[in-house]
Amino acid sequence: MANPSNKAASAMPMSQERPGLSAGQVQEFTLVSRLKPGGAQRMRQLFKGGFTGERQKNTDRIGTVHDLRFIIFDNDTRVIFASTFDGTWDTYIDDFGTKIPDEIDLLFHECEGYPGIHSPQIKDWIVDQQVTATAFYSAYPQATVRDVWKALKARSALGALLDQA
Amino acid sequence: MLIPAVPVLDVSDIQATVLRPRPSPYRGEYVVLRIDDAAQGREMLRRMIPRVAPADEWWLPTLPGWLGIAFTHEGLKALGVPQESLDSFPVEFRQGMAARAAILHDFGDDAPPNWEYPFGTADMHVALAIYANDEQNLTKVLERARQSHADLPHISVVYRMQFGELPGGRNPFGFRDGLHNPHVEGSVAEGAVTPTRNAYEAAIKAGEFIMGYPDESGATATSPVPEDLRHNGTFLAFRKFHMDVAAFRKYLRSVASSPAEEELIAAKMVGRWRSGAPLVLAAESDDPKLGADQNRNNDFSYQTDMKGLKCPFSAHMRRVNPRDALKDDIVAVNLHHFLRRGTNFGLPLPDGVLEDDGAERGGVFLLIGAHLRQQFEFVQSQWATDGNFISHGTEQDPLIGNNEGDGVFTIPQRPVRRRLHGLPRFVTVSGGEYCFMPGLRALGWLAALKS
Repeated sequence: MANPSNKAASAMPMSQERPGLSAGQVQEFTLVSRLKPGGAQRMRQLFKGGFTGERQKNTDRIGTVHDLRFIIFDNDTRVIFASTFDGTWDTYIDDFGTKIPDEIDLLFHECEGYPGIHSPQIKDWIVDQQVTATAFYSAYPQATVRDVWKALKARSALGALLDQA
Repeated sequence: MLIPAVPVLDVSDIQATVLRPRPSPYRGEYVVLRIDDAAQGREMLRRMIPRVAPADEWWLPTLPGWLGIAFTHEGLKALGVPQESLDSFPVEFRQGMAARAAILHDFGDDAPPNWEYPFGTADMHVALAIYANDEQNLTKVLERARQSHADLPHISVVYRMQFGELPGGRNPFGFRDGLHNPHVEGSVAEGAVTPTRNAYEAAIKAGEFIMGYPDESGATATSPVPEDLRHNGTFLAFRKFHMDVAAFRKYLRSVASSPAEEELIAAKMVGRWRSGAPLVLAAESDDPKLGADQNRNNDFSYQTDMKGLKCPFSAHMRRVNPRDALKDDIVAVNLHHFLRRGTNFGLPLPDGVLEDDGAERGGVFLLIGAHLRQQFEFVQSQWATDGNFISHGTEQDPLIGNNEGDGVFTIPQRPVRRRLHGLPRFVTVSGGEYCFMPGLRALGWLAALKS
C-alpha cells in the first residue's frame, strides 16, 4: 500500500486488499455515505430505541463488534457509520448475508447506491464508501469481544466466590 | 405442494476425484508436471483426457484405479489460456497458496520457504492424482498417464510421491480417519443404495462444490470465464503434512498419569477415539464397534454437548466441521464445507516408540470446493488456527494448529476445566498449492486452445 500509515492494516491477513487500520487484532471501520432523500428522517425513526432489547441481542450474536455508531451530518445529507471489531469484516460478510440479511439491509438501506447484502457488488460498495482512519487507538488491542465478555463473567464469578468466603 | 427442483449433477462430466471416496485399502501417487511448451502441454492433455475418470456411479466401489487432473494458475498460463480467462479466476487461486501464507498462518516451520520443491514455486503446473485399490492397478494408471507425455520433451515430471493406506485404515497418529464428507445435493442417482446419511445433516447445495449449480446462497458461479471452462469444474487445496508421531506420543506421556489417560487426552484432541468412535456418542471409553459402523459413527449432533464436556470445543473434529455446534452464532456453517480426500504416506512409527526415527510420514489432503476463500481459507484461518469463534482466545487446533511449543488445549470438565500447556507442533506443512480441477468437457476446451 502506498500510504505508510496503512502498513498496520496489512499486518492483518484478510485485510491486505481492504482499507481500514488495525491495532493488534481489532480493526476500525468507518464508512461515509450519501443518504437518500428523506433518509435521515427515516433513519432517526428506525434507531429511535437505539441498540436496546432485541436489536442489542441480535447485534451481540455477531460476537465480534466492539461498538458501532451512526452519525447523520452535512445537513441530513450524509451518514457516518463507525465501528470497531475483531478480525476483518469481509471474513464473515457472506455469513451475515446468509444468517442476518434483513438486519444488514436495514442498517444501510437509506444509503445512496446501497446494492443490498445479496448483491455481488456488496464488497466493492463497502470498500468504495470506506474511509481509512488517520490514526486509530485501542486500549486493549489483543482482546476480542469474546475475551472481554469471558473476563467479565470470570470476574463476577470470582466476586461471588469471594463474597461467600 | 411445490417441491424445489434439485439439480441433478452431470456426473459424467465431473472428475471422479471430486466425488469418489478413496478405495479401501488404497494405493496411489501424486505427480506434478511442468509444461515448457503450450502446444506440447495441450497434446499431452489431448492424450490424457480419455484416461481421466468421470464420477459416474461414484458411490459404487467399482473402479480399480482412476486418474484426476488439475492445474495451477501457472499451469493454465503455460497451456496458453487467454489472459481474460486467467484474470477471471478468484484472487486466491491466481496468487497461489504460498502467497496466502499470512491468511493461512503458515508461519515458522510451516512457511512456504521451508516447503518441498516444487510447492510454492512457479514450476508446479499440472497435478495428477492417481487412486487405486492395489499396486498393480496403480502401475497401470500411472503408465497410461506417463505415455501421454513420455515423448514430449517439454513436459517434465517435477515431483512424484506415493501414498498408501496404513494398517487398519489409521492415520500415522493411530486414528481411523476419512470418516466424514458432506453430502452433495443431487449427486446420487434416484434409488441408488448409498451409506446411510446422518439424520442430523442436510445435503449441501451442489454449487458449493461444483461450478454450474446453485450454491448455498442461491448463486451459480459466473467466473472464471468462459462457461465452457468452468462448468462442472471446481478448486482444490492440496496440502501435504509431515506428522511428528513421536512428539505426539511424548506429549501425551508428559501430561497423562496412565496409558488410559493418554488415550483419553488423545481422543479429546481429535474428537474421536482411535477406532473412529466419536466422543459425543462414547464419552468415557473407546467403542470399536461404533467406530467401525459407518451408519453410526457420524450419527450425532453437538446439541447434546453444548458445554463441550464430551467433545471439547477445541477438538480437531469439532473445529474443522462444527456441524450444529455454532447454530446460535452468526455463522453460516454450510458456506464452510469442503470435500476431503485424505491420504497417508510413510510407514507407521512402531507402537510404543517415543523417539523420532527421522522417517517421512504424514498425510496429503485434497480439500475440494468451489469457493477456496470461504471454504479452505476460512476453515484454516478462523477455525483451525484461531480460537476466538469458541471464546478460546488465540488457542489453535491441538493437532493441526501452528503451535511452537507454546500451544494450549482446553478440555471443559467439571468442576473446573483442564488446560494443557506447552503443545508443540505435531504437524508441519511441507507443501501446498491451489489447483483448478475442470470438468471433462472443459479439459477438451483447454486441449483445443489455439496458440
